[in-house]
Amino acid sequence: MSKRQVAMVMDLNKCIGCQTCTVACKTLWTRREGMEHMLWNTVNTQPGTGTPHHFEQMGGGFKDGKAQPGIRPTVEDFGKAWEFNHEEVFNGGKNDISLAADGGKYGKGPNWDEDQGDGQFPNSHYFYMPRICNHCTHPACLEACPRKAISKREEDGIVLIDEDRCKGYRFCQEACPYKKIYYNEQEGVSQKCIFCFPRIDEGVTTACSRQCPGRVRFVGYLDDPEGPIWKLVHKWKVALPLHSEYGTEPNVFYVPPLSPPKIDDEGNPTEEPRIPTEYLEYLFGDRVKEALETVRIEREKSKRGEESELMDLLIARKWLDMFGPFQNHPRDAARMRPIPANRQGFKNPLGGNDPFSSDEDMAALNGGAMGDSKPAGVSPIKFFTKDQYKNGGRS
Amino acid sequence: MRTRRVNDVASLLEPGAAGWDAAGFEPVAMMPAPLAMQPTEYIRVKWEGREYGSDPGLKVASVHDGKRWVLCARWSGVSPSGIDFPDAIAVALPVRNDPPLILMGMDGAPIQYLRWQSNKPALRSIVATGIGHSENGPKMAAMSVKAHTNGEQWDVVMSRSLGGEGEVAPLLAGQKTKIGFAVWRGANEERGGIKAFSIDWIELALDA
Ligand code: SF4
Ligand code: SF4
Repeated sequence: MSKRQVAMVMDLNKCIGCQTCTVACKTLWTRREGMEHMLWNTVNTQPGTGTPHHFEQMGGGFKDGKAQPGIRPTVEDFGKAWEFNHEEVFNGGKNDISLAADGGKYGKGPNWDEDQGDGQFPNSHYFYMPRICNHCTHPACLEACPRKAISKREEDGIVLIDEDRCKGYRFCQEACPYKKIYYNEQEGVSQKCIFCFPRIDEGVTTACSRQCPGRVRFVGYLDDPEGPIWKLVHKWKVALPLHSEYGTEPNVFYVPPLSPPKIDDEGNPTEEPRIPTEYLEYLFGDRVKEALETVRIEREKSKRGEESELMDLLIARKWLDMFGPFQNHPRDAARMRPIPANRQGFKNPLGGNDPFSSDEDMAALNGGAMGDSKPAGVSPIKFFTKDQYKNGGRS
Repeated sequence: MRTRRVNDVASLLEPGAAGWDAAGFEPVAMMPAPLAMQPTEYIRVKWEGREYGSDPGLKVASVHDGKRWVLCARWSGVSPSGIDFPDAIAVALPVRNDPPLILMGMDGAPIQYLRWQSNKPALRSIVATGIGHSENGPKMAAMSVKAHTNGEQWDVVMSRSLGGEGEVAPLLAGQKTKIGFAVWRGANEERGGIKAFSIDWIELALDA
């Protein structure tokens, strides 16, 4: 058991399916060879088969505390990125060509049932559901690994794969019931969402949450009564885990989506919501009705002009408050290296020898060539300036 | 099991070299590594009632020339390409202090493994001090491996130098040691502890 647990809440009422989170993560973390097919963050249309396709039928997790067998998703199950004929369409000089994925012979993409949803007009419906690794309290991946290559960080419960210990056996892929582990063929190791731990260590929230234009994602400690997670999960009880029956105690929670009333045969609104409650219960368990009711009541209060802590939180007027103690700007974290809130009281083992301990040293380093003279013992994570970044990390 | 002395091992580094037929292959009895020994509950649950580690009919012969030790292993079960896991063989040799083979060694009693797998061209040296406790082992002079298959049988020839210092398992002319084997069948998704293994140490005597 970790001492503390970082967690995420995603408000599904606000997700617009833009995939900015997916791209933020892809750009930051999965640009090495062998990672082409990896999307540590995915956003899927629900109801739908998810990514990897039909992951809910792939087994793993625990039943009555006992490990359950699972299968390994293939690259095709995850859905590969399509190549489009943009060049041909825009510059090819022919006017009868239309945009086609993989020459029309495309297989499945990561969200291939995009906007299909379910239900018949006028009751057709869908919503978007982003998924990352749940950094579970009882991680099936960690427990399946015979090499002890997976660990859960003591200080914040982030689940990480040690790529030096991993031998590519892929038992973790089978055991994870959420199928959030990818396999890197080139390097022979399993890889997955790292909850942006190098950012978290600097008091900076995850890339997917910070980039989200819909203000969908809250980040913080599960036990922090001042933070948004504790309030949404424990105080207001509106954020629920996905498929808690998988038995891994996931630490990503979802505010289930409200929907307009279902229309009856005469075209009149009914008491039932358009997104069937049974479907939401299938995903988020039997506390869905309660959670939806709480959101509805608080929304009405807010409409009447009354105060509602829950609505203020969910609306996220104060953007940075969504990230609990992880409100630092990534650029400032790199420049100033203040001691982040989550590390206050942390004793720097390098003491005065830490080359990053003073602003002058930091300024000198920023002035010099990036990374060339990296002093021993310093985190190898680099935060590039815009220009350096554009130039592939070179100054 | 015996390692015969020859004048020069150079002509025996190829699988299928004529000299191997006279080298005296000896059969190695193997069985599935027991389910109870698998280190995680997940693996035990997943493989319960599922066949693995079936006897590959392993036969081995070995020679040395005073400088270099060469072993030829033949077994049946060749997996098609394009699957998730490779076919593989590992040869175990005790480093010191009589390590238990079934436990893959223990603290203070390491085992050195020489491992070949069908998707990698090089022989790997690994040192283990228990199940799930293996690390890269020492590199040795004259480490090489060559594999050949007729589609049904693997023929793998591996070699290393004689001697033994530090974490290198001793192989010395005129002396005895012990040897063990493990075989993985990739097409059956065998990897890690899911394998056929040679039950206990076999005595290995190197000609003087
Ligand atoms: S979601 Fe899967 S990969 Fe992530 S911690 Fe849970 S079991 Fe492990
Ligand atoms: S937390 Fe970080 S690593 Fe995980 S999905 Fe979000 S951006 Fe990717």
